Amino acid sequence: MIATLRSLHRQRHLLADFVVRDLKARYVGSAMGFFWSIVFPIVNLFVFMFVFRLLLKARWGESGGETDTALIMLAGILVWTAFAETVGRATNCLVENANLIQKVVFPSEILPVYLTISSLINMLIGLPIVLIGCMVFGVSWPGWWYVYIPLLLLLQILFTVGLGYLLATLNLFLRDTYHLVGVALQVWMFATPIFYPAEMVRNTRIMLPHWLSFLSNGPLGVWEKGENKGEPVVLTAEDGGFFYLDWMLDYNPMHWLIQAWRDVTIFERAPDSMMLLKLAIVGIVLFWLGSVFFRRHQYQFPDLL
Amino acid sequence: MTREADRADTDVDQGEVPGTLGSVRAQGLGKAYQLYEKPMHRFLDAVLGQTKRGRDFWALRNVHLDIRGGATVGIIGENGAGKSTLLKLLAGITTPTTGSVEVHGRVTSLIELGAGFHPEFSGRENIHLACSILGISNEEAEELKPSIIEFSELGDFIDRPVKTYSSGMFVRLGFAVATCVNPTVLMVDEALAVGDEHFRNKCLQRLNDFREEGGTTIYVSHDLGSVQSMCQHVVLIEQGEVVEQGPAEAVSETYLSRVKERGAKRTMSMMERGTREATRWGSGEIEIEAVYLINSAGEPAHAIATGEHFTVRIIYRVVADVEQPVFGVGLYRTDGTYLNGSNHFWREEPIVLDKLVAGETGEVDMALGGMPFLAGEYFVTTFLYDHSKEPPTPIDHREHVARFAVVDDLRRQHGLVQLQTAWAVRRGDPVHQNHESGR
Repeated sequence: MIATLRSLHRQRHLLADFVVRDLKARYVGSAMGFFWSIVFPIVNLFVFMFVFRLLLKARWGESGGETDTALIMLAGILVWTAFAETVGRATNCLVENANLIQKVVFPSEILPVYLTISSLINMLIGLPIVLIGCMVFGVSWPGWWYVYIPLLLLLQILFTVGLGYLLATLNLFLRDTYHLVGVALQVWMFATPIFYPAEMVRNTRIMLPHWLSFLSNGPLGVWEKGENKGEPVVLTAEDGGFFYLDWMLDYNPMHWLIQAWRDVTIFERAPDSMMLLKLAIVGIVLFWLGSVFFRRHQYQFPDLL
Repeated sequence: MTREADRADTDVDQGEVPGTLGSVRAQGLGKAYQLYEKPMHRFLDAVLGQTKRGRDFWALRNVHLDIRGGATVGIIGENGAGKSTLLKLLAGITTPTTGSVEVHGRVTSLIELGAGFHPEFSGRENIHLACSILGISNEEAEELKPSIIEFSELGDFIDRPVKTYSSGMFVRLGFAVATCVNPTVLMVDEALAVGDEHFRNKCLQRLNDFREEGGTTIYVSHDLGSVQSMCQHVVLIEQGEVVEQGPAEAVSETYLSRVKERGAKRTMSMMERGTREATRWGSGEIEIEAVYLINSAGEPAHAIATGEHFTVRIIYRVVADVEQPVFGVGLYRTDGTYLNGSNHFWREEPIVLDKLVAGETGEVDMALGGMPFLAGEYFVTTFLYDHSKEPPTPIDHREHVARFAVVDDLRRQHGLVQLQTAWAVRRGDPVHQNHESGR
């Protein structure tokens, strides 16, 4: 891990060039250029307000108004997009840059990193829209909690790059990884409270058929609704117990990360320190695993492409 | 040496490791590729950290090289012998399975020109990025830029996106970047067979200048001629192993004898293949069954040396009676240039075949006292026409029925053909007045 960091430091100019190239490439040939980075979140904001507030009458918790709801979703989307886009591209980054890796002496360890930084910069262009929106609609004001932003960025980088290293390497050994990652990200997005509040998931349970009883992961408790409401649950021959969805919150680093970003940008408070600690541990472990795995197999890359 | 060391720590290495600037040394170099039957096996090996599901394929074995700074070394071998594998190992692109490589100085490889160019960006921006990839600082890159742009001769195109470039322009920019960045070791992989004549000459000139300025060049090719003209020292590789290395003349000789040896074996199979594949037309009363090239030793050959006695032998079989058939032979260069055509009838003393009868077989020889062509690849086309008709009609015309190489060990002349030249040098006052003063 230290070796990877050292080499990234040595290649920082090349890394910077790649980030600039990537940012330019997003908008090269377009008339409005970087303006699109701002337009996209604004349009998103109005779409979410329309759909979730006016059509679905969604509310964020007890206090949420329509603007809150839209801004909360937007913050989640910005963070998720930066993450998902990077992981998707990083998985394929070695294959896409095959001619560099095979024909030139090239430090491939910069590839997942430059993708991450480029996406983060894009996210940081969109983030002020959320902050300005909060001020315009009187949702929140800037405050001392902004000091957590650099820490959140760092944790996001560690987590994203770590995953990127791991998946990019695996993809060389088995190209199916790329397709698998696409599907997994889709599922992961809906398993993360981006479009719905986390509280909705808490204690949500599904009655399993008996042949899926091995998935049962929580107490039977009492019936929550229906004619038997309040009475203890008794399983029949067809029932296999409850499948609780709480794990979607408890084991989902992206939920922690998005929650932390929302705390800082919208809820005017410091993120939960337990969450930050868990995020830091997961981020560091993943970065360590990813960079070691990547480095261990790096010498084979030109042969595997 | 690790990849990082190769890339960024070379400045440090120069001070610590003995060896002159530009020297390249390889010890016990070998490269094995792991072959797997199923992708899943490769995946399992990688994840579990094992190497038991695949099998090794050795592309290169036990190579020792000691190239001093400033030398120009050629690596020669047939296709698939392991030349490119060796070059990539020396350039530090791939990692050896066994042994080690030490390079002192900045390496630039012309293995692929313009690798890493982004099509949407202008030439200028791509120069910047390419320099950055080669590990050149921004300041140095800014200094080098004008000379790169000048050498590439792109003019106004330098500020247009690379995607609008022709392939020639692309390669010009790639070559300009690779050679303008002051390398101390240059590795060239036959990349020069591109661009127009003017730019190719410019590239060769640049390589010559580089050599004269004391740069180390490692040149890989399967073309003996170009290697001989550029390198004093040649390494011959065959099936992943160094067969011989030493002065260009000696190694070339070995290479030639090996090519000839294999050529003799291959001639037979090539003839077989030719019978089926090459273009042929005609009425078919007589069939040309095979065409051989016979060398001075009287054996079928695939390669002939300049000046060597050789014979083109045509084996025929008559299917139906024909009056006055005439056999002919045409020689072409592989670029299509028609060099010579002749037959046994249009001569001072023509051979006239009154009638060939069905079932008859035989052979026709065209002998040449000395191969007049210089090094290159050539085709033989055979003509068989019925001269009892006017104009003669084709019986069995076979385009490019055989292919052969001419090798020129002596290299005393340049160009296409060997001429019997006479030279005289007279020093002191001219004996003869020149023509103008005599008028």
